[in-house]
Amino acid sequence: MAFSIEKKAVTKWLEKLLEAGEVVAPVRTPCGDVLFSTIRSAEEVVWDFPNPLHPPKEFVLPQTDPIVKIRRNGQHHEVEAIHDGTRRFLFNARSCDAKGIAFLTRMHEMEPADASYLRRSGNLTVISLACATPCPLGFCVCTDSGPFLSDSCDAQLTDLGESYLVEVGSAKGEAAVAEAQSLFRKATEDEVSRRKNLEVAARNHFGEETCHFASAMRRISTGRVPDALWEKMGDWCLECGGCNLVCPTCYCFGVKDLGRDGTWIRCRLRDSCQYAAFTLEASGHNPRALRKDRMKRRFFHKVSAQYYTRDGTVGCVGCGRCIKVCLGTTHMPAVVAAIRKGKWHE
Amino acid sequence: MNDVFLPDIAWLADVCDETPDTRTFRLRFRDSKKGEDFHFHPGQFLELSVFGYGEAPFCIASSPTRPEALETTVRRTGQLTNALHKLGEGDEVGVRGPFGNGFNVEAAYGKDLLFVAGGIGLPPLRSLIWNVLDERARFGNVTILYGARTPTDLVYKQELSEWGKRSDVETHVTVDAAQAGWTGKVGVVPSLFKKISFHPESTLAYVCGPPIMIRIAIQDLLALGFKEEAIISTLERMMQCGIGKCNHCAIGHRYVCRDGPVFNYGQIRELVE
Amino acid sequence: MVTVPTACPFCSCGCGFYLLAREGQLVGVAPSETHPVSEGRLCARGWSAHEAALWGDRLRQPLLRRNGKQESVSWDEALDHVAGRLKELMNAGKPVGVLGSSRATNEENYLAGRLARAGLQTNNVDFSYHPICRPLLAGLEEVCGKHAPSIRLNDIASSQVILLTEGNLAETHPRAASSILRAVEKGAHLITVGYRKTQMARLASLHLQATPGNEGEVINGLLAAILDLRLQDRTSVPIGYDALRRDLETVKGTEEVRQAAEWIARAERAAFLIAPSCGPGDQSRKDAAAFAKLAAITGHLDKPASGLLPLLARSNVRGACDMGVVPDRLPGYDPLDDARSRQRVQDIWGKKLPSAPGLRAESLLQSVSGLIVVADDPPSVVPIGQRAMAAMERIEFLVVLDAFLTPTARIAHALLPIASLAETEGTVTNMEGRVQRLRAATNPPGEARTGWQVLAELCGRFTSSYSSASDVLREIGQAAPGYAGVEQRLSEDGWGGALLKDFDRAKLVVQPTRTTGLAALTSVERPYLLARDVAFDWGHDPLVSFSPTLRRDYQSERKLFPNGFVEIGKGDADALKLSGGRQARLTSVHGEAMVPVLVRTDLKPGLLVVPYTFRDRVSNVLGTEGVTAVKVERA
Repeated sequence: MAFSIEKKAVTKWLEKLLEAGEVVAPVRTPCGDVLFSTIRSAEEVVWDFPNPLHPPKEFVLPQTDPIVKIRRNGQHHEVEAIHDGTRRFLFNARSCDAKGIAFLTRMHEMEPADASYLRRSGNLTVISLACATPCPLGFCVCTDSGPFLSDSCDAQLTDLGESYLVEVGSAKGEAAVAEAQSLFRKATEDEVSRRKNLEVAARNHFGEETCHFASAMRRISTGRVPDALWEKMGDWCLECGGCNLVCPTCYCFGVKDLGRDGTWIRCRLRDSCQYAAFTLEASGHNPRALRKDRMKRRFFHKVSAQYYTRDGTVGCVGCGRCIKVCLGTTHMPAVVAAIRKGKWHE
Repeated sequence: MNDVFLPDIAWLADVCDETPDTRTFRLRFRDSKKGEDFHFHPGQFLELSVFGYGEAPFCIASSPTRPEALETTVRRTGQLTNALHKLGEGDEVGVRGPFGNGFNVEAAYGKDLLFVAGGIGLPPLRSLIWNVLDERARFGNVTILYGARTPTDLVYKQELSEWGKRSDVETHVTVDAAQAGWTGKVGVVPSLFKKISFHPESTLAYVCGPPIMIRIAIQDLLALGFKEEAIISTLERMMQCGIGKCNHCAIGHRYVCRDGPVFNYGQIRELVE
Repeated sequence: MVTVPTACPFCSCGCGFYLLAREGQLVGVAPSETHPVSEGRLCARGWSAHEAALWGDRLRQPLLRRNGKQESVSWDEALDHVAGRLKELMNAGKPVGVLGSSRATNEENYLAGRLARAGLQTNNVDFSYHPICRPLLAGLEEVCGKHAPSIRLNDIASSQVILLTEGNLAETHPRAASSILRAVEKGAHLITVGYRKTQMARLASLHLQATPGNEGEVINGLLAAILDLRLQDRTSVPIGYDALRRDLETVKGTEEVRQAAEWIARAERAAFLIAPSCGPGDQSRKDAAAFAKLAAITGHLDKPASGLLPLLARSNVRGACDMGVVPDRLPGYDPLDDARSRQRVQDIWGKKLPSAPGLRAESLLQSVSGLIVVADDPPSVVPIGQRAMAAMERIEFLVVLDAFLTPTARIAHALLPIASLAETEGTVTNMEGRVQRLRAATNPPGEARTGWQVLAELCGRFTSSYSSASDVLREIGQAAPGYAGVEQRLSEDGWGGALLKDFDRAKLVVQPTRTTGLAALTSVERPYLLARDVAFDWGHDPLVSFSPTLRRDYQSERKLFPNGFVEIGKGDADALKLSGGRQARLTSVHGEAMVPVLVRTDLKPGLLVVPYTFRDRVSNVLGTEGVTAVKVERA
C-alpha cells in the first residue's frame, strides 16, 4: 500500500508520532555531526544528511542494556526482568540500517528467543528514507540492502520533490500512518513509477569498484585464505573494535552485574571479537591470542558460506561505516578485496 | 519468548570440600515446581550467578537419574569462584540453564564405555557415570580411568573408593606424584591404557581433563584403533550468555554452548578456528 | 537520550566524542566525524570511556579517618578539617606538598598549584607521571624553547617521512599510529628507532635498532649523516655546523642511517615523534635534545605540516606542565626563578611566592608530613612503585581527591570525592597543545563534587575562591600567557578546542654539546641488559581497571603471572634453557631477584625487558636505574 504526504505536512505527522511514543531521528549537533537521538520536536529532524556514523541499533541494542534487576533481601534475593516496552519510532533510517535491524531481530529470534531484545524491536516502527543519492562509501547493492528496500522496514519514504511517497510494509507501518491518517492520500501511479525510476537511477550510481563478496566468501569458507595474509593485514589493524561498534549487524556482547549494596542491574554490554581478551578463558588459555586469528574470526562470521546459510544473508549491509571508523585500514571492502586478490598492499 | 537472562533462585543445600581448592555444591531451587520441571542431560551446564559478582558457566556434575541431588563442582580460580566458595548452606545463588547439548546417553546403550578423566575433568563425566551406573543393565563393560596431580587433588575420593569396590565397574586411579600414604598407582592417566583390555569397535571413550592430557589420550586411543566418532570430549571456551548469542564461544559457525560442549573427535577436527 | 560532546580522558592524543546518557546514567559513546583529531575514529579505550565512571568503585561521601576507619562527614567538616590540619603542620614547620595529576583538568591542576604556593607557601608541587617525561621535555626545551612546534595528528597522515622513537605506539597512542598507517599506505617512509620489533617497526621502511636508554646513539648517527651529506637546511636556524659535526666525530654511521637521514632531510613534510626513554635522566635529556636538533637542522620545525610531538602518556600531561604543578615551574611553565613570571603570578594571587625550590614527586612523597594528592594513584605511576605506597603510609596527614577508590584513596586520612571526567567541567591540553573542554554527561554520584570546586573551596580557606570553572580558566589565561584568550575561544567555537600557539621560532637554538653516548653497561660477568619498559601502566589506571571491557587483558596478565615476569628473546631463552613461566635469577651491581620469564620473538639477544607494571619485582636489580646490566641464570 503506497501513500503520499506533502513535505510541509510531515511536521504534523511527526508531532502525532511524538504523542504516540518516543521518536528517534537524525539530528544535527551543535558540533556539526548528525546523530540518531530522541527528539522533542519535529524541527530537530534532518532530511538531507550523510548517514550518521553511530548506527540506530543503539535503540534496539544499547551499548549498556539493563536486562535483569536483582535485589537482596536479607538472605533472599528477588529477580525481575527489566522490560523496555516503550513504543518507539525510528524515523529517517537509511535502507542499510533498516536491513541491519531486521538482521539483528532474526539473530535474537533464533532459539532460544531473547525476550528483552524482541520486546524492544517489537515496539519499534522503522520508517526508512530511501537513498536516491547513494552515499560515497556505501556498497549496499552488493549486500542487497539498498539503496531502496522492498522489505525489512515498516514504511519507506521516497523524496519526490514536494512530497514523500510512503510505502507501508507492515501492520506497524500502517499504524504509524494511521496516527495522522488525514495527512496522507493514496499515491498515484505516476508517483509510484517515479519512485521506481529513482531506484534505477540510484542503482546506476554504483560503479564496478564496490565490494565483491563471492570469491572472498569461497576462500574464507574453505579455509583457503593464507595465514600469512591474515598476519599481514593484522598489522594494519589497531584493535579499536570500532568496526563492531558501528556495524549494523554486529551484536557481540558480555553480561555483567552493575551495582552494589544489595541492588544490582544485570546488563548486556557491547563487546568486540577484535579485543584480545574476548576469548580469554578463566584458566588463562586464549585460543585467539593472536590478532590474525581474531581478524580471521571476524571475517568468517561476516562473510562465510556457513554463516550465510544459517542467517540467509552475508553479515554486512554495505553501509560503509567501517571504512570511516577503522582506526587502521582493515575495513570490509579492503579486506574482501585483499582476499579476492590474494594480496595486501602490493 | 523467554527472559533468557533471568536466573532462577536456588539455595545451597550442601557444600562439600573435594580438595583444598575445589568444592561441590548441591543446589535446590527455591521454587520447588521449578525443581520438578528441571530436566537435563548429563554433560549440560548451568550459568551460575553469585550475586554481586556476576555469572559463570559450570558443568552439571550430577546425573538426571538423581534430580534431588543437582550438583556442580567448582574450583576456586578468580573473583567469582572465590566468592562462591565463601557461601555456605542456605545461601542463595542464581541458576540459568540447562544449556548445551549434553552426552547422547541412548547412543551408548549396549556399548562398552571407557571414561578417561584428569583432575577437574571428572565432574562433567561424573554426570554420565552415575547415569550409567543407575541404569547399569543398559550398558556393556564400564571402565573408569582417573588421575590427578597428587592424591590431595583427586575429586570425589569417596565415590572413587565406592566405584573401586563395585564388581560391575573397573576403576583405576593414578596420580602424577605420590604423597605419604599413597599406595595406589603413579603415572599419567594415559599410562593406564595398557592396564586394561577393551574392544575399540564396540567401545565409546569419554575423555575430559587438562588440554595436554586430552591430546595425549586421544592420540593413544586413535592408535589403539578407536574411530574418531567414538572418542567423545567436552570443549571449554569463555562463555557469557549460554544461549549462542554473545558469540564468545563461537568456533567457526558452531557455538560451544549450543552445538557443544560435547563433541566427538571427528567434529572437533572439523571445527574452523 | 542525551549526547554530550567531550574530550577523551585517556591518552594525550586528545580525541573527541559524544558521551551518551539516558535518565541520568551513562550508556555509551558515539563518534564525532567533525572533531579535528578523532574524525569519527576512536581506540578501544575511547570506545569504553564511559565504563569506569559507570561501573567503577566510586567515592560518594567525604570521609575522615577516625578511630582506625574512614567515617562519613559533611563537606564543611571535611574541608575545615583539611585546612586546619594543614595549617597546623605549616605552623609546626613541617613540610607539606601537593601532587597534581596528568589525569586531572587544567583547572584542577592550576588550583592545586595555587593552593600549594599561595596557600601552603611551598614549592613542593609535582605530578606523578613527571619523573618519566621530565628529561624528554627538558631536552626538547633546550632546542625549542618551552614547547616544541607540534605537528597536528591529522597532518601526520600526509607526512612523507616519519621518525618515531617509541615503546609501542599502537598501544600507547593508537590515534597517532592511525595517522602513520595512513601515511605509509600513501607511500611515506616510516623510520622507527627502538629496541623492539613492534607493530610500527614491522611496517617501517627502516627499523633502526637501538639499545634501551641509548636511543641517542641512533639519533646522533642520523645527525652526523645529515651533516656529512651536507643535507642540513641552510635557510633555517643559525647553527655552528662545523662545531656540531666535530662534536659528533665519534659517531659511526651505517648504510641504513644514511638512507634514513636522506629521506628525512629531503622530505617536504616530516613528522618527528618521540617517547620517553628508560635511560638515565641526563642521557635521556641529551638524546631528546639531539632529536629536536635533528628536526631543527632539517628545517622541519618551522614548516607548515611538519613538526614534533612528544608522546606523553596521559590526557593532560601537557596541561599539568602548563599549569605549573612542577616544583621549579610556575603557571605558564615558566621557571620558578624568572622574576617577571613571579611578579605576574604574585599579582594575580595577591601573595608572595615561596622561593626555595620544591621537591620532585618521588622525593616529595618520601619527605612530607602533609600531602594532598589530586586524582591519581602515585604508586602505580611513579618509578619507585610500591616504595611510594610505603612512604605514603608514613605520612601524618594524607588528603586524597579522587572519583575512584584507588589504593591511595584507601589509606587517606581525608578522602574528598570528586567527579570523574564524564561528570566534570574543565579543560585538558593534549600533546598537540590543543586545549579542549570536558563536559558533564551526568551528575557525579552521591555527594561528590567537581574537582575544581573542591580545590577552590580549599583555596578559599587559605586565599580567595572562585565561582565557576570558567572563572578559573580566565585566570589561567592571565597566569599562563600561552592560555590568554583560550576561555573566549572555547566559548565561541568549542569543538576541537583551541590550539596553543606558543612556539617562538626565534627561540630555536641548536648548540653542540659533548655527545657522550651511554657507556656500554654490559660486561663479561653481566652480559645482558635489563630495561624497564616505560610505557604507561594503563592496567592500574582506574579508567581502565574499573572498565569491564578494558581490564580483561591486563587482569589476565596479572593472574597468569601473579609474580610478574620479565620478557626475554627466544634465542636467549633457549640458550639459558629457560621456557615460559620458568624462574630466572637476575643479578646486577645493585642486587638480585628471581622472576619468571615470558619468551618473546620480538626481542633481540642480550636484552630483557620488565613491563612497567612489574617493576617492583626487580627493584633490587634495577636500583634507581631504568636500565642496568645483569647476569641471567636459570633459577
